[in-house]
Amino acid sequence: MSEQINTGQLASAATSEQMIEINQMNKWYGDFHVLKDINLTVHKGERFVICGPSGSGKSTLIRCINALEEHQEGDIIVDGIKLGKNLKNLDHIRTEVGMVFQNFNLFPHLTILENLTLGPVWVRKMPKADAIETAMKYLERVKIPEQALKYPGQLSGGQQQRVAIARSLCMSPKIMLFDEPTSALDPEMIKEVLDVMVELADTGMTMIVVTHEMGFAKTIADEVIFMDEGDIVERNKPEAFFGNPEHERTQQFLNQIL
Amino acid sequence: MAIITQQKTAERPAPISETSVLGWLRINLFSSSFNTILTLVMVFIVYLTISGVLAWGYLDATFVADKRRECYDFSLTGACWAGVIAWLDNIFYGRYPREELWRVNMGGLLLILWMIPLWISRVRGKILIGVSVIMFYPFLAGYLFTGGEKSWFMQFMVTGAFLAFFVNMANMLIGLTMNTSMDKFLLRLIGQSEAPDKTQRNILLGLVVLSFVIIFSVQSSWIVDGVSWTKWGGLFLTLVISGIGIASSLPLGIFLALGRRSKLPVVRVLSTGFIEVFRSVPLITVLFMATTMFPLFMPEGFFLNKLVQVIIAVVLFNACYMAEIVRAGLQAIPKGQFEGAHTIGLGYWGTMGLIIMPQALKHMIPNIVGNIIGLLKDTTLVSIIGLFDILGMLRSISKDVPWLGLHKEPLVFGAILFFLICFSMSKYSRHLEAKLSAGNKH
Ligand SMILES: Nc1ncnc2c1ncn2[C@@H]1O[C@H](COP(=O)(O)OP(=O)(O)O)[C@@H](O)[C@H]1O
Ligand SMILES: [Mg+2]
Repeated sequence: MSEQINTGQLASAATSEQMIEINQMNKWYGDFHVLKDINLTVHKGERFVICGPSGSGKSTLIRCINALEEHQEGDIIVDGIKLGKNLKNLDHIRTEVGMVFQNFNLFPHLTILENLTLGPVWVRKMPKADAIETAMKYLERVKIPEQALKYPGQLSGGQQQRVAIARSLCMSPKIMLFDEPTSALDPEMIKEVLDVMVELADTGMTMIVVTHEMGFAKTIADEVIFMDEGDIVERNKPEAFFGNPEHERTQQFLNQIL
Repeated sequence: MAIITQQKTAERPAPISETSVLGWLRINLFSSSFNTILTLVMVFIVYLTISGVLAWGYLDATFVADKRRECYDFSLTGACWAGVIAWLDNIFYGRYPREELWRVNMGGLLLILWMIPLWISRVRGKILIGVSVIMFYPFLAGYLFTGGEKSWFMQFMVTGAFLAFFVNMANMLIGLTMNTSMDKFLLRLIGQSEAPDKTQRNILLGLVVLSFVIIFSVQSSWIVDGVSWTKWGGLFLTLVISGIGIASSLPLGIFLALGRRSKLPVVRVLSTGFIEVFRSVPLITVLFMATTMFPLFMPEGFFLNKLVQVIIAVVLFNACYMAEIVRAGLQAIPKGQFEGAHTIGLGYWGTMGLIIMPQALKHMIPNIVGNIIGLLKDTTLVSIIGLFDILGMLRSISKDVPWLGLHKEPLVFGAILFFLICFSMSKYSRHLEAKLSAGNKH
């Protein structure tokens, strides 16, 4: 683990490599214009936090990066690969980009360990013994190795979300996306998940996190992005963003949640 | 308001209605005078029914007789089971040659033995066992039932079937006695359990090839007499048709359901059309079409026997119902499961096979078993197009000279037989559901 931290710090020190590049991207659901002229560049090791009112298009944006949704105009380039109709590219992107959902989306019919080894064994073609070893390593990292043989339904929400993070990490992704990872959790469980995410940030992982946990944003974010009605309204360093928001809509929003 | 009570409240026994039979009776059956009258009337009706059935079916019934007249001599009001008993072999096996009946029994026994390990939790490799049943058993059973010269292909499949069967049985015994799997046991036996993966795999492969060759040479001299399918009948024929119908309509139904949800328009339209056409036609029509129209479309000289035509019709018809069951099951799976699978990089078939289907099938078990029971009963329709399945056999008893006009008893017997089969299936499905949902609580 210490090894990983080192390489991570190296990487974030030399932030030149572009991991995600979004140019003039637009998306519609039918007639509804969800995302409008989005431009965003994320370098290796950078951490972005996205916030904004419900329905502003935050989930849609990060789902587009993961090719869970198609966009209609503009370009999304992830790890040097342009997203489009090409299925081969999509398969590649999916294995490079990990995603954690609000509702965990663990596989209820499989044990925790099977949840974690499924991707490495079936997609990465890793030998089973190695996959189990990797899985246990990440379970230790999210501090629940003793739950390995249970089923998701037997775990608390916070534990399930940590399993979901470990499941993504087992695929050794280059980018991790989080869509409101703590919104479905009871207050006393939010911290255990955020702690795991802070530790992950310390390893130098490139991360985009949709969240309203402002303390967390201040700790890890390189930049905070505010979205409203499909626009990126404001982006800034966390201190500036929270201390002295420029746009009126940002001010209103922050007043509501703080 | 501060402290409400200082002492812990003592426990009291539950109300009498919850614990004693008498209490239960009073609350549920005799709570008012109207309810009491209703209960007494119902008891009287039940009594009349049971005593009537008992008198007809057992007390006044004749079990030993040579013809229907002798039954009458014994009692005019009782059932004449002697006719059913005299026809038992026909009811179960049709006109299958009497000295060859062991082959039918053997076929059934093999299937049961083959499936036993699936019910024992300590046995490993359940999926492989399931696959081996579907891949090999039909050929072994097919040869047992039809007999005659084996083609090369048949020789191959029969050998495979024996090999799979023996491995399966040995695996079960080893699993039960030593709690390990057969491959691990064999490797330990020859002292190679520490060898590298590749060597282990080669050794096992070698063993498989060796046993295949041995079994092949033994089975090539094993030949049983040919029996034409026209001699098949009774419960045996019913089980063959519905067995093949069940085993092939589920996989076919899964593909049709996936096709109906496909993103490719051609696949979707074809699957939907196929399902809707077959579902809107009664089975009896499909059967008539299959046996009368199907041959017209076949190329000159190409000939399918009636049994094969009927089986194809039953499979296609039932696959459409299965497809709709599967589709409903798929719709019950939340979208998040697809997305979770997507983020760990699983493609379409990986997502379906590893994540979606295993969960969906669990939801579908009650409906699938319901469909299987329905199919088993519907199969009796083949008696209308001239196959002597169990219903055909039961009805021919009344045309047999010594038992002329004996309708009631055979049909009652058939009803009891069907009830036993179907009821145990539905019981088993309840058990299966309970077992599966105990495995992972949501
Ligand atoms: N599959 C969909 N079809 C149609 N509209 C959708 C779909 N998903 C989301 N939307 C709409 O797009 C908008 C943005 O949604 P979303 O990205 O989920 O917002 P956020 O995550 O910021 O709350 C919302 O108005 C939502 O109703
Ligand atoms: Mg959202």
